[in-house]
Amino acid sequence: MANPTENLDPNPRTREPEDEVEEEEEAQELNSDDGELEEEEDEEDDDDDDDTVSNPQTREGQSKTESLPPGNDKTKDHIIEAEVEAVREANTLQELLEASRVANSNLRAMDIFDSVNITLDSGPPELPGTTNVVIEVVESKNPLTGQIGAYTRAEAKSSSVEASLKYKNIFGYGDIWDGSMVYGFDSSAEVGMGMYLPRFKGLPTPFSSQRSLGLSLGLLSSKYHELVYTVAWRNLIDPPRLASESIRRQLGHSLLSALKYTFKYDQRDSYLRPTSGYAFTSTSQIGGLSPDSRSLRFLKQEIDLRCAVPLGFYQTALNFGVSGGVTFPWGSGYRTASSVPERFFLGGNSSPVCSLGGPSALWGFSTRGLGPNEPRRRGDVERDFVGGDAAVTAFADLSFDLSFRWLRERGVHGHVFACAGNMAKLTENEFRNLSAPKLLETFRTSLGAGIVLPVSLFRMEINYCHILKKQEHDRAKSGFFLTFSA
Amino acid sequence: MEGDQDTSGFTLVTRKPCFGLPTACPNCLPAYIYLKLAQLPFQLAFNSTFPDSDELPYFETGTYVAYNNEDGGVIEKLKKDGVVNLDSQLQSLPDYLSLKALILSWLEEALAYETWVGTEGVSAWKIYYSDLPWVISKVLFYKQTYMAKTRLGIIKENSEEREKQIYKRASDAYEALSTRLGEQKFLFEDRPSSLDAIFLSHILFTIQVLPETSVLRTKLLEHGNLVRYAEKLKLEFLEAPSSSSSPPLHSFPSSFSRKGSKPKSKSKTEKTEEEKKFKKRAKFFLASQFLAVVIYLSVMGGVSNDELEYEDDD
Repeated sequence: MANPTENLDPNPRTREPEDEVEEEEEAQELNSDDGELEEEEDEEDDDDDDDTVSNPQTREGQSKTESLPPGNDKTKDHIIEAEVEAVREANTLQELLEASRVANSNLRAMDIFDSVNITLDSGPPELPGTTNVVIEVVESKNPLTGQIGAYTRAEAKSSSVEASLKYKNIFGYGDIWDGSMVYGFDSSAEVGMGMYLPRFKGLPTPFSSQRSLGLSLGLLSSKYHELVYTVAWRNLIDPPRLASESIRRQLGHSLLSALKYTFKYDQRDSYLRPTSGYAFTSTSQIGGLSPDSRSLRFLKQEIDLRCAVPLGFYQTALNFGVSGGVTFPWGSGYRTASSVPERFFLGGNSSPVCSLGGPSALWGFSTRGLGPNEPRRRGDVERDFVGGDAAVTAFADLSFDLSFRWLRERGVHGHVFACAGNMAKLTENEFRNLSAPKLLETFRTSLGAGIVLPVSLFRMEINYCHILKKQEHDRAKSGFFLTFSA
Repeated sequence: MEGDQDTSGFTLVTRKPCFGLPTACPNCLPAYIYLKLAQLPFQLAFNSTFPDSDELPYFETGTYVAYNNEDGGVIEKLKKDGVVNLDSQLQSLPDYLSLKALILSWLEEALAYETWVGTEGVSAWKIYYSDLPWVISKVLFYKQTYMAKTRLGIIKENSEEREKQIYKRASDAYEALSTRLGEQKFLFEDRPSSLDAIFLSHILFTIQVLPETSVLRTKLLEHGNLVRYAEKLKLEFLEAPSSSSSPPLHSFPSSFSRKGSKPKSKSKTEKTEEEKKFKKRAKFFLASQFLAVVIYLSVMGGVSNDELEYEDDD
């Protein structure tokens, strides 16, 4: 079940209009994110929904709002109006343009419209100093969509094929209902159902060994802060019956009732190729918020720090960063092991330059490929990587333009990088066996070089990675790798 | 067995102990008793969050695991893999198979019926759901009750007939086993077998776990020699010499009803009070969550950004 909010661009790109003369041109540009220019008068469609709002220009200092009765087919008015609230509050032309861009991407991200166009026009002559904002949406003619794909998940060991069917906007609240079937290549199959509302967030798809049914509520969402409450019924299962001992002990049902607060400050100039600025993220999570003491109780804290320093030539930039996280249970069960889904797993096919979600990415290491591990059931030579209660990763990445102009124009650039990471178990008195020298001694490190290809909304890297240091059983080897980051 | 078992111990993972039994789950108890009868030293570990799993109980040593839903059950798998086999020379005996069929079909059916339907799951709550949150427990209880009825072939139209049939068969089985056993120590000669483990588990569960109002329990208590058989084996194999003995089984018809009823009725009222408290708390919690959402949606309105920040195009 894809989460539509993943499409939301937190920092949509904008242009700074220099003077009023360019107003007409910019109004036309707003109409298409694909870069096609359209005449606003030509926008006519049978399923159009129109909202017209007039906004003031600061020069005149007047404010008057005028709205025409909407012709919504199915979608409720307030759903559309909630997304364009900021447009009403804009006071200057610049604010209006920015707010309109945000509103456009928000409405598209709802995933229930075939097209969204916002047009700015000068207001009626009897209302000087106002701007007409025309919002034209075309509701999807066919509310049923399906998709099928092959995926590799960060916390699951195996790949899977997933097919899902979505029924959009049944009740006109921007609601999306979906059902999905996941077939894992380890012969496990899962069926999931989800519901998404614009003010609510759906839960991610179940992993190959975990079934989850629940709801995520976005309680607070602003530029820097986000507060989400999640309640879910989780069932950890082992269909092939090959799991290791500590995973076997955790199989069963649990109730997750957790509050997650994220503070995010990202001043970097670009998400996909940062060349200057810095970013800081802190995520705190507390589980067990229910009167029932038998729900999952844990505390989890993650921190990310990223820094990009421009070096002044060939658009070279040095990116470096560090991520850390710790989790442990609280309450009467504090002496027991932490819950497996809450632990940290390092490795995978993503790049640490882009990811800001706690310690996870490490070049050269397979998904769930390092850290505390145990032998699986007899008959399976592989080992189970059971995750760690504390994890830390650090990286340095030097990116530079390539000498071919054709590649430069398409944003393709090169980079060399180095990274290191480690994790440890803390629960069940294992923290007594920890020591700084031991941790440093067992740090995994790798370095490499590669080419980065930015592909619209995500970044693809083709890297050659050389593993400098790894521990016994770690799943890592030197060679070529492909990574994707969004 | 392979060599690596010498270095690591044996562990049996079952559901939690309750009602004075080392594990109160009727699927786990036979495996426990079997290992005790074989006098194999092992550790006991518990899983109290998976009431609807067929994998429990499971036996593990090193990387070897014997799950209950493979090869006919834990006991059969342990026999087949050569871990411990109490039936090595008994399988050829003529009445071994018929007794096995009787115990594994009629008596097991009767126990499943009595646990989930006959007593309306009163004991099942404490066995399976004491460590799970109330919401999950409720859903799983209905699910497991439904599955038990499906497995037993009980539908609305035939429920009475089926009940009569199940109790009649249980009665006949008790009669046959009582006659077969007499005052012997074990079912076969003077050596324990897997059938002793399964039958003993059935008797202990029926007497100690099922409530006094249980029809099956009443029918079992009519056969004094079966109760004595269970009492003797329990004392000899299940209870460590140093631990204090539990109330004797043979006194159950009279003294248990006196001894047991007070603590049982106390625990029943405690349980219902606890349950009421949890239900109240859960309702309060859900109501406050709903109220918070409603307040947020109505007062706070939509998402508001303090400033909007954008990046220049590269």
